Amino acid sequence: MGQAGSITGQDLKEMMAAATSWLEKSAADIDALNVFPVPDGDTGTNMLLTMRSTLEEAYRVPDSSASGVARAMARGALVGARGNSGVILSQIWNGLAQGLADKESVNGSELADALLKASTVAYKGLSNPVEGTILTVIREAAAAAREHASNVSDDAVSVVEATVGAAKESVANTPTLLPVLMEAGVVDAGGQGLYTILEGALHYLKGEVEQLKLRRPWMVASSVPLTAKAPQMVGAEEVPYGYCTNFVIKGEELDPDKLRKKLEKRGQSVIVVGDNSAVRVHIHTLDPGDVVSYVIPLGTLHEINIRNMDEQYRDFLEMQKERMPAVEIAIVAVVAGEGLSNVFASLGATFIVPGGQTMNPSTKDLLQAVEAVPSEKVVILPNNKNIVLTANQVQSLTSKTIEVLPTKTIPQGVAALLAFDYEADMETNVQNMNRAQSAVKSIEVTRAVRSTRLGGLDIKKRQAIGFLDGDLVAVSDKTDAVLNEVLTRVNLDEAEVVTIYYGADTKSAEADQVGTTIREQYPQLQVEVVQGGQPHYNYIASVE
Amino acid sequence: MTVKIVTDSLGDIPSEVAEELGITVIPLNVIFGEGVYRDGVDLTTEKFYAKLIHSKLLPTTQIPSLDVFVQTYDRLAGETDEIAVITNSHKLSATYEAMVQAIKLMKRKCRVEVVDSLWAVMAQGLIVITAAKAAQAGASLDEVVALARKNIPRADVRMAFDTLDYLEEGGRIGKARAFAGSKLKVTPILGIKDGEAFPFAREHSRAKAIDYLYDFAASYSHIDEMAVEHATTPDEADGLVKRLSAKFPEERIYRSKVSPVIGAHVGPRVLGVAVLGDKR
Repeated sequence: MGQAGSITGQDLKEMMAAATSWLEKSAADIDALNVFPVPDGDTGTNMLLTMRSTLEEAYRVPDSSASGVARAMARGALVGARGNSGVILSQIWNGLAQGLADKESVNGSELADALLKASTVAYKGLSNPVEGTILTVIREAAAAAREHASNVSDDAVSVVEATVGAAKESVANTPTLLPVLMEAGVVDAGGQGLYTILEGALHYLKGEVEQLKLRRPWMVASSVPLTAKAPQMVGAEEVPYGYCTNFVIKGEELDPDKLRKKLEKRGQSVIVVGDNSAVRVHIHTLDPGDVVSYVIPLGTLHEINIRNMDEQYRDFLEMQKERMPAVEIAIVAVVAGEGLSNVFASLGATFIVPGGQTMNPSTKDLLQAVEAVPSEKVVILPNNKNIVLTANQVQSLTSKTIEVLPTKTIPQGVAALLAFDYEADMETNVQNMNRAQSAVKSIEVTRAVRSTRLGGLDIKKRQAIGFLDGDLVAVSDKTDAVLNEVLTRVNLDEAEVVTIYYGADTKSAEADQVGTTIREQYPQLQVEVVQGGQPHYNYIASVE
Repeated sequence: MTVKIVTDSLGDIPSEVAEELGITVIPLNVIFGEGVYRDGVDLTTEKFYAKLIHSKLLPTTQIPSLDVFVQTYDRLAGETDEIAVITNSHKLSATYEAMVQAIKLMKRKCRVEVVDSLWAVMAQGLIVITAAKAAQAGASLDEVVALARKNIPRADVRMAFDTLDYLEEGGRIGKARAFAGSKLKVTPILGIKDGEAFPFAREHSRAKAIDYLYDFAASYSHIDEMAVEHATTPDEADGLVKRLSAKFPEERIYRSKVSPVIGAHVGPRVLGVAVLGDKR
């Protein structure tokens, strides 16, 4: 370290060296995070190769000022960038170098500003920046650095520490921003790579040589658990992805911005970065020949790399299958609504088949789900009385062992899932899950599709109606009033937990109000209001 | 000469019990930012949780430096020629490794045997307590070690958690990851299996979770020792002890608190029951 609290050019070199060796330890793990259709099949390796080139150039220059080393880093990264994430990383170093221009050494505040610049430049290099990637991680990490430097301490080490902490959090949250990550149950690989690089640099700054030698980088866990969803698995094969095409153009008077605009018409995921003498291009296109012939007149082409992404995608499907939690008994659940699907996924359902009232899945849909899970034993939770029979058909069509737990409602499905024991065998589990599902009371509130008379009640079309364990017991104009009325028919004095899932057509404020009313009346109850997002049913509630 | 018994603070043995049975407990460290605290010595469970709840910093934990183990051995070697060491699971911390390494650095001569209990919390504690009772009754080092090893598969523990965040953050979640990230408020019940955290059950309410703990303990036909421990809910612990004492002799049920180092990984409101015994 240079003067207390600041970073010299030599420090920067050492930080890059530590970052590179730290990244090297987890490059393979980062490769495994690959989620198609993010194009880099091997993000960890690509970032590592980019870092090696960064490091080489940083050590090659005789300059020992922070600005000189940062410039060398940016140059090394640009020349050696591999893959999507490598290119963005090179832009991050480019921005950092711009931010550190003319600086002999940097304090925490200057570093924070340079990180902000790095974030801006990284975003600018992309025609269509996507959140939930390395971009989000650099942006949030830089913001945390600025905040820390302004409000807590200007000490460079503590600023880097705050940066690393924010980066980690940001990585964990990437799946909430990017659906492909959510579906695969992984965090963004490029983001994880950047976090690892920053953490490696921090280890150097804190003098933690032992850590660097003996320990391994921490792979950030997704903030959402892994559950496969049917549509991505089933319809996937029809989507053509074309070719991931990478090259460098060297020439004179090149204009990256203009080139980017031209290339956007010829493909997706376009990244064009560089200066007027060298430009790196990354593009997904169905016709790489067209792209190449377009750029040939502009200069000479180098490091041309074209890969077939459809092949990558098939590999990805196989890999995703392997990566699903290896459980002896898998659970396939039929669920409608984003919120409810998340609830089932978070409680350990292996595979969600979308469906429910008026959207009954076919036997084939269920069979595909059963075949897709990596377990020989499968429990199916139909969660609707009209789906139980369909589910029963699956056994005759598969060699796997199937148990259909006849759950007729969502609350019964949740109760059964909660009772699932990872240790127990199929027989014990079916017994326990059946006992659990029969102990819960299910309430459903919807609107009548026609006028009728049922269970001694006159019902007009569009009126709200409430069911208790499948029996119609309440009718009113308002859905919340019906829910409250059905609840009065259950002995809440002896209940412990009430869970209310409100549907896609119900406002959260109204649902919260229902929850508050119950809490006031029955303070001993654990009342939870959850966004279910289910169609048709304004409310689904369970009483236990 | 009486065999001396050494363990680490992850066994959550109440200090008065350790004192009475002559057990030497080596405290592991809790680190809050710059401050390093010895488990249970510089920081009590109550003070730790007050800090945990109000601090923005998450605590980390570490084993003390090798000298601490060596000095403990050498000090005891002045009083005995046989030491039995029973540590927490090697999958949860590096204590076992350190305890073994420390033998080579001893200045005094003394026979030391180290047993990896494959447990932590009072499941480890109960194995240590029975070993100490045997030592007090005059058992040799080999007999004490054999007893401890025999008791490893006879111990078990279940704990109801308020949150799995701390376990996840500290990197000790293991297979219990299956229970993390629930979108519903559920009470996960974990135990230790093959030396690491294992997910056993989820209950939808705290009351049901406590029933689960009772049923787990009550399923034993015979117990040598039993313990109920808590983090921040003494009333719940008392209630559980009361229910269990209707079935098992109350003097066999220890009442304990999770140590700060354990607390750093399990968070507040943990309630657990550990048993050393037989199911049939």
